[in-house]
Amino acid sequence: MMKKIWGGGWRFLALLSTVLLGGCSSRDFWLFDAKGVISQTQVHYMVIDVVVMLVIIIPTALLIMWAMWRYRKSAGATYAPHWSHSNAIEAIVWGVPILTVAVLSYYSVEAIYQVNPYKPTVLARAEAAPAPRPLEIDVIATDWRWVFIYPAQHIMSVGRLVIPVDTPVKFRLTSTSVTNDFYIPQLVGMIDVMPGMRVKQALMASHVGTYEGFSADYSGAGFSWMNFQTDAVPSAQFQQWTKQAQQAPQHMDYAQFDLFAKPDISVSGKPEYFSDVEPGIFDHVVGEVMNGKVWPTPMGMTENMVKYLQKQRASQAQMQGEL
Amino acid sequence: MLVNLQGPWSPLLGRLAVSQIPYENPILVGTFVLVVALGMAILGAVTYYGKWGYLWREWLTTVDHKKIGIMYILVGLVMLLRGFVDAAMIRSQQAMAVGPDSAGYLGALHGYLTPFHFGQIYTAHGVIMILFAATPILVGIMNIIVPLQVGARDMAYPYLNAVGLWLTTAGAALVMTALFIGDFAHAGWFGNLPLNELPYSPGVGVDYWIWAFQLSSVGTTLGGINLIATIVKMRAPGMTWMRLPMFTWASLSANIISLTSFPVLTVSLALLSLDRYLGTHFYTAGMGGNLMLYNDLFWIWGHPEVYFVILPAFGMLSEIIPVFSEKTLFGYTGMVLASFGIAGVSWGVWLHHFFTMGSAPDVNAFYSVSTMLVGIPTGVKVFNWLFTMYRGRLRFELPMIWACAALFFLLVGGMTGMMNAFTTNDYMVHNSVFVVAHFHLMLLLIVYAIFGAVNFWFPKVFGFKLNERWGKWFFWLFTAGTATVFIPMFTLGFMGMTRRLDYIPYAQWQPLLDAEMAGIVLYSLSAVYLVAQLYVSLRDRALNRVGADAWGTSRSLEWATPSPVPFYNFAYIPHVNARDEWAWRKENGIAQLRHDRYEGIHMPKNTGVPLVLGALSLVLAFALVWRMWWLAALCLAGIVILVIMRSFAKDTDYIVSPEEVKRVEDALWAGTHARGTEAEGGRGRGAVGGGLSPAHSPSAPK
Ligand code: HEM
Ligand SMILES: [Cu+2]
Repeated sequence: MMKKIWGGGWRFLALLSTVLLGGCSSRDFWLFDAKGVISQTQVHYMVIDVVVMLVIIIPTALLIMWAMWRYRKSAGATYAPHWSHSNAIEAIVWGVPILTVAVLSYYSVEAIYQVNPYKPTVLARAEAAPAPRPLEIDVIATDWRWVFIYPAQHIMSVGRLVIPVDTPVKFRLTSTSVTNDFYIPQLVGMIDVMPGMRVKQALMASHVGTYEGFSADYSGAGFSWMNFQTDAVPSAQFQQWTKQAQQAPQHMDYAQFDLFAKPDISVSGKPEYFSDVEPGIFDHVVGEVMNGKVWPTPMGMTENMVKYLQKQRASQAQMQGEL
Repeated sequence: MLVNLQGPWSPLLGRLAVSQIPYENPILVGTFVLVVALGMAILGAVTYYGKWGYLWREWLTTVDHKKIGIMYILVGLVMLLRGFVDAAMIRSQQAMAVGPDSAGYLGALHGYLTPFHFGQIYTAHGVIMILFAATPILVGIMNIIVPLQVGARDMAYPYLNAVGLWLTTAGAALVMTALFIGDFAHAGWFGNLPLNELPYSPGVGVDYWIWAFQLSSVGTTLGGINLIATIVKMRAPGMTWMRLPMFTWASLSANIISLTSFPVLTVSLALLSLDRYLGTHFYTAGMGGNLMLYNDLFWIWGHPEVYFVILPAFGMLSEIIPVFSEKTLFGYTGMVLASFGIAGVSWGVWLHHFFTMGSAPDVNAFYSVSTMLVGIPTGVKVFNWLFTMYRGRLRFELPMIWACAALFFLLVGGMTGMMNAFTTNDYMVHNSVFVVAHFHLMLLLIVYAIFGAVNFWFPKVFGFKLNERWGKWFFWLFTAGTATVFIPMFTLGFMGMTRRLDYIPYAQWQPLLDAEMAGIVLYSLSAVYLVAQLYVSLRDRALNRVGADAWGTSRSLEWATPSPVPFYNFAYIPHVNARDEWAWRKENGIAQLRHDRYEGIHMPKNTGVPLVLGALSLVLAFALVWRMWWLAALCLAGIVILVIMRSFAKDTDYIVSPEEVKRVEDALWAGTHARGTEAEGGRGRGAVGGGLSPAHSPSAPK
């Protein structure tokens, strides 16, 4: 209930700023327009945080302005050149910030456990429910594409994430080369995706829709093109999509993945699908990287993007020819 | 070679080759021509006016803390301009490269900067603004003011002071070199690991970045040692701890954190250089390395560093606000405690820069709470400034309007900082432009405090005030620029925009990016007014001369000596009687006292060694960047030999004769008398202060 009210409040504020800013619609405020359980919890706590702080900061700002006006020299107000100490005021001056920080700390710690990427307590009930079972997805960030492997379905989707709505989704994430940040503003906050390591993330979409996801941590030349579309769809539609992907003509095993992971900027952003995906590619990648495997960036690779794209197209055409 | 280098290497030139000079890039060529023309013009002017000797004697070889401070500030201003140009390029690229249909120029698909070039620009922007603009300007001001405030004739180690300056300058010069020879790092000012490792950054950019950081790091550490020693050991008689001016307290706390944290930076970068030069695996993903180690080490320095720059700014506000409130600072003891509270907490919060790295919730909770603790002393400071204004008589002269504006930045910056400290918020906004807006507001607070401080202490150093009318124009335009850039930036953060995008996929961000661009135009316009302010002030300096007490209501010890300050600072080391010594003297009617007799003064001699050390360090760093081992070895040997030789030098000081002191003092005070009344209003009529010999001074009040 509380969440609904807070959410409504935000929508109002967002709307207000829309009027002020003109041109941007309130739906563009992805951070407030949360469509998943995790992101809604985050917004809920952000509102608490901001409100508590405004209770202190607005009066302080007003007081400063008042003092600047009231005690300007020409006003001729009370003047006490030597007044510089008062125990009562010192107590307030220390007390107010201490109290505020105590309240905020309480909420902050509470929130951390609720949306803990490894074990979010807000999803605990949904995860324990007999159905729908949580969906597991392995995420691999390459230079510079997002690879989503659905181990149970044996499919791999590049540059597009499809998930069933109202179903907990559990991610394992790693990277082939450098650090990226996995981020879908309307569904879940950021988590660092690091090479040779495995982190986890969890989310549950509560509304059907298409949400933008991208890498938030600078990872090199192709970083700006690392955005992916996330479709939260009803579960029947998800089943249908899986079936379709399982028909994809291209297959994937580690040897192919090794070639696939070479630096490549996905300027077109077109998604690709692979079926018959060899189990264990995720763990294989983590293991190889831990043993020192790298996919190096060639020198001067992107110093002329136009030329780079021409080359990319040529080599793709060649590969198609060979197939 | 122990590592796999892409590209050729030769024993003589290392990795350097003609192809490393970016002559096909019209932007860089244009800049190069401009820089060369400007350099030639300056060198030509110096030669034409026959000023080489003057330059060498009075500036390049000086150990005078005031001149070193001025040179620090000049270096900082030059780099500020460079950093601003970078910023304008970042903003214009982002405004141009929105949506798949946006046009591309100069080899870029969208906008006019290729991804790699764009990466270098924002990395350079961050490095320059923090290490080579804000830090040198603040160090410069501390250099000038702290010895005056504690009643010393110079820093504890004047020679070391000059070494620090020239090392910092060498670092700045190295960053500028990267513009024209080779390239610069692209992985962000704090260096994203393992992106910084050789396989992903095969060029020399990261090496430039490492050595520029190292030079400035060593320079700042030396400066920190010096300032701490000065404050602890060089205080005038009577200057007890609880009488120290607030700016000196702030400098002390800031330099304690710099002295304890900069060495960590040195080590963290040294380990990275081992990875890149010797093929070790400290931060690689494989072979047992761990990139998280770098994040920890870097931010154990990085967070204290941001407080290293903000504490002196707080100190400046604590000096300016009482003077223009015509009142004592409220809650002095609380302010001192708060400064050290901020410094102390700053060691224990670094993890908040990577809450999203997937640490256990207990760990994130600890750092969330510890980060929020910073809000307590910061809040205390705001309230104390507020109560300083309460029942005062506020005069909104230039320093005061900058200081008052800074208070509002602190409120907004502090609030957004507290939002970042709230871990689950940070999951949403980390690496977004919301964080970028947060720390820019904080850094702008510093900029505002600096402009306030420059206006405030300028008459002390140069003997005349800066023009008020042009200065106010500059203030309002600059503030308009700030609002127009950063309000949209916060908004974009809420819209989900992340940082460092060289191509913007989402069209709905366009209007706000355009607004930010308009802000950049306002900023540029404001710079014109700043130049005009300086020009008009210089032209009309005869009209704006001031006496010792430039503002009439000044309070601390630096206002007791003439303006401009003579090279020995105080003819007699002053005897301090109270917390706001100068205010105390005025109240007790002894501000006018002067000496009739002078004694010889012991001063350090000029030396060219620091300049040569700086030059050798620059060449050393350059040689290391390009892996010219023979040149690096030669420079290193030169540095070691020079340092050893200098440590045996005996003839490093001299005595200024009493007659010389008398001559200087008479000239300064004669000038002051003529203009004193006007500058100081009715209050400090003909006030002449200056050092009182202990024999003359009344004993401290019981
Ligand atoms: C109330 C005081 C403050 C708090 C609670 C605070 C909190 C934070 C937090 C949590 C972050 C990390 C955000 C993220 O990367 O996700 C951050 C970033 C940053 N803060 Fe603050 N901050 C405060 C004051 C300051 C001050 C005084 C400065 C500097 C003058 C500053 C400069 C920065 C910088 C430079 C960064 C970002 C560095 C980067 O990622 O490039 N902050 N702050
Ligand atoms: Cu920090």
